[in-house]
Amino acid sequence: MATSELSSPRAAADRRPGRPPAFRSGGPRRVARIAGRLGAGVSWLVVVLGAAAIVLPFLWMLGVGFRTSGDLYADPARLWPDQWTLHGVRAVLDQLPFTRLIVNTFVFAGGTTILLLLFDSMTAFALARLRFRGQNALFVLILATLMVPFQVTLVPVFLTIYHFGWLNSYQGLIIPRATSALGIFLLRQFFRQLPRELDEAARIDGANDFTVYWRIILPNAKPILATLFIIQFAALWNDFLWPLVISSQTQMQTLPAALTLFSSQSGVDHSALMAGAAISLTPLAIAFLLLQRYFVQGVATTGIK
Amino acid sequence: MSAFSRRGRATCLAAAVAAVTLVAGCGNNGVSTGSSGGVVQLSMLTGFTGPDEASYQALVTEFNQSHPDIHVTMTAEPWATVAQKLPAAWATGGGPDLATPSSDPGSIFNYIKTNSALPLDSAVGTGSGQIDSSAFPSVVRSAFTVDGKLYAVPANMATLVLYYNKDMFAAAGIKTAPTTEAEFIADAKKLTVSSGGKVSQYGLSLADNNTIQMWPILQWMSGGDIVDSKGCATVNSAASISALTQWSQLVIQDHISPIGQAGADADTLFSSKKAAMEINGPWAASGYTSAGINLGMVKVPVGSAGPVTLASTVPLMVERNGPHTAQAEQFLAWYTGKTAQLKFSQISGFPPARTDLGSALSGNATVSLFASALSDAKLYLAGLPESTSIDSDVYVPMIQRIERGANVASATASAATQINKLTGCAS
Amino acid sequence: MTSLNPSSGAPRRRPRRRFNSAYLFVAPSVVLIAVFIAEPILQSAWMSLHDWTIGSADNPFTGLANYRSLWQDSRFWNALRVTAIYTAAVTVGQVGLGLAIASRLRRTTWYSSLLRTAYFFPFVASLVVVGIVWKFLLDPQVGLIDAWLGDLGVSNPPQWLQSTSLALPTVIVVGIWKNVGFTMIVLLAGMQQVPADLYEAAMLDGAGPWRRFTAVTLPALRPALLFTTLIATITGLQLFDLVFAMTGGGPVFSTESVVMYLYQKGFVEFQMGYASAIAWVLFIIILAVSAVQLRVARNRDGD
Repeated sequence: MATSELSSPRAAADRRPGRPPAFRSGGPRRVARIAGRLGAGVSWLVVVLGAAAIVLPFLWMLGVGFRTSGDLYADPARLWPDQWTLHGVRAVLDQLPFTRLIVNTFVFAGGTTILLLLFDSMTAFALARLRFRGQNALFVLILATLMVPFQVTLVPVFLTIYHFGWLNSYQGLIIPRATSALGIFLLRQFFRQLPRELDEAARIDGANDFTVYWRIILPNAKPILATLFIIQFAALWNDFLWPLVISSQTQMQTLPAALTLFSSQSGVDHSALMAGAAISLTPLAIAFLLLQRYFVQGVATTGIK
Repeated sequence: MSAFSRRGRATCLAAAVAAVTLVAGCGNNGVSTGSSGGVVQLSMLTGFTGPDEASYQALVTEFNQSHPDIHVTMTAEPWATVAQKLPAAWATGGGPDLATPSSDPGSIFNYIKTNSALPLDSAVGTGSGQIDSSAFPSVVRSAFTVDGKLYAVPANMATLVLYYNKDMFAAAGIKTAPTTEAEFIADAKKLTVSSGGKVSQYGLSLADNNTIQMWPILQWMSGGDIVDSKGCATVNSAASISALTQWSQLVIQDHISPIGQAGADADTLFSSKKAAMEINGPWAASGYTSAGINLGMVKVPVGSAGPVTLASTVPLMVERNGPHTAQAEQFLAWYTGKTAQLKFSQISGFPPARTDLGSALSGNATVSLFASALSDAKLYLAGLPESTSIDSDVYVPMIQRIERGANVASATASAATQINKLTGCAS
Repeated sequence: MTSLNPSSGAPRRRPRRRFNSAYLFVAPSVVLIAVFIAEPILQSAWMSLHDWTIGSADNPFTGLANYRSLWQDSRFWNALRVTAIYTAAVTVGQVGLGLAIASRLRRTTWYSSLLRTAYFFPFVASLVVVGIVWKFLLDPQVGLIDAWLGDLGVSNPPQWLQSTSLALPTVIVVGIWKNVGFTMIVLLAGMQQVPADLYEAAMLDGAGPWRRFTAVTLPALRPALLFTTLIATITGLQLFDLVFAMTGGGPVFSTESVVMYLYQKGFVEFQMGYASAIAWVLFIIILAVSAVQLRVARNRDGD
């Protein structure tokens, strides 16, 4: 493909993707440019409106958390409360053993995610960097497990956990979930992209497999680890069914299950339900906002090739 | 740079294997094993997550105080969750000692079939510490007796009455609550206010899913029904068809009620003063009053078939393979005894699940009303093992179709076929 | 550079059967998967060959009877239809919209960043919370949407989740809403990988923005597009939580997905054998669809 040497500074600046080259004449090109700008403007508007539509349900949820039921029924078109009430928040805090729930959910989501990152990265490392028999078959099998709906294995897993004596225990909650096919997949893709020179340099210095893993690969994998952390942590934090099945005692309950208390058969407590939903979302939102800058980077380097 | 020697790795592996076996072996499923210092610990799982949970807890607390050698801990989770956890939990013998498997009395059949529930006949009697089943209302006793054995006691006993908003009635110029079906229909129409196609007030709040059933009452008022005592479908009888046609037309054309409401939605519609009437049970009364409604309650209006309403009872069962069935039975005996039922009625507004307490509660208007409705009350899909399937697979979808304008005759006909297939009715 | 034997600096001797440390690395995950995923899957396959009720002492072997009943079960076919429609619509919507949004938000300006964060946010919310919030948002009595429509003069605002014809499209929209951010991020990352000189070359050839998009961006995004399509398909076919929270499968089964039906059969009616058969059929379908997608992608990569 013929490329001329564009040496002028302006041309160089225009080499960034997405930026049209500067036109040098008017006429039909100028019309085209204006149409292009208009089109760009319209598409920006659509994107911004889209973002507003994305965020609107959450804003509304927040509003309902502080509205009285009467206010809600009387004027549903309002986004913000006309009659404020703390009833919802109070109901959530009073009726739920809040500290206990938060602790349980943190231990479950946090503990499982950390174990998961460890085990998945170890497996991904072996799949990406080491050689062993049955490597490809193993990878395919792991991927296949992604395709099985959770409800299928629920009862057999419950019976297994029961036989181990792990019901109502942290290990029963955490250990069965301490690995994830999606995590293994993404990590493997990411590791494959890392330059092999790093490994080789270390091995020449006498590093064994574990050292390469721990001191070379992992530190270079921060973006994908952060991405995976937020994805898995969120999924586990929001997991409703699993903790409910494994822990029958209120001592061990997690937050999502407790929230369903406010939607019983005898009336819906809208403000409590929405307040509870907002409260359960907050830690995730914070973690998300802190880690979100890693996402694009993390996903980019997996290459998804 | 070599962090691990080869020998170190092998040791590590051995240690890991040992750890796993150790952990796998030691675990008692986190269940507090029975006696701690002589006090027997019982766990009870229920679905009473609404505002009425406090009433049940109060009973449990009183039992614990009066029985120092037994301690019952009650937990409440959504009904759907109980239904998911309980079968496997009881099948493995590791679940709660006591449980209400569902708000639907027909749910007991599965636990009987899997031998997970304890037959209670050995604890039945009129002595102290025994379950006095002869005092149960007969609909309850027959609902919980299968193959001649009693498998559950009533955790509660409810009938449905008509709640109405007195202020809305006054505003519409209606002086008294309806007593006949004709008045009921007229009032519902009058109380439905709409402007420009949008309804601002509904005459009646009907629910068609996830609810204590209201539509069967509308059929029963005119002599219609869903199944007969042999399990053969009667939903397509002439009386049923005319009742369903009449009421669905009221919904579709006169907009007396929204369609597609779940029970919780229907309750909230009434408590937010957007509906003037609702057929509901005793659990709702306190919530409505605290929502500031000028509340009136009457028995369900009488149709051509005479006075009728719906009764419902939640089964409370004992785990068959639990370690403390004797103590669990003791709890049931106390729970269904006169003291406990009296107290429960007083604090919850539910009628007692005993037929010998009438005079003691005559002072309480709410309780008396619900209790008096008992004599005309029928259970929904009584005594059928397939009741859960009939409800979710046949009846609810049929009502939903009819509410949306399906032809009543053909909808009921196909429903009848399905019901007969489920129950194995020969006709 | 000479490469020494990487595992030791010692002089080479005849290698014994060295314990491949790779096995140690994969051991934890493999053990967990074997015990808590693979074995239960096999056990559920076993259950599907029986008339299995949880806890029942007697679970007669029935062979393929469950599968035969499934073939004739019209409710199952309805669930399959619902699931297929949902999956196709959400996949196309998610990927298409994700692509459009990603191409708009490629720059690293602060407002692009902010918008990207906004789009990705629903991803961290639980499906149950999302379902409940949307259910109320769309409620004819208390919902914002119908209230606003009413204020705008629409006389009979649609009853979104109560209508047999509108319920599924509504669930589809919510599904897209929830996942478009994830797709956007993946495609965005893919776009940022495209070397600038490809665009430069295209511009020199006189290609306008649309042509640049179709000739440069799209082909470069093929792996990312494949990945997002595959994930969207697999998760779409497993639709459950959203429907459970929003509609419970109604009205009149118009939103009942396959997993929803499985749940009903297994956990409400206790027929675990039949439910397991449903699960296995779904599993096979997911495998088949994924295999087809991968094959199509590989073929197209070839040219």
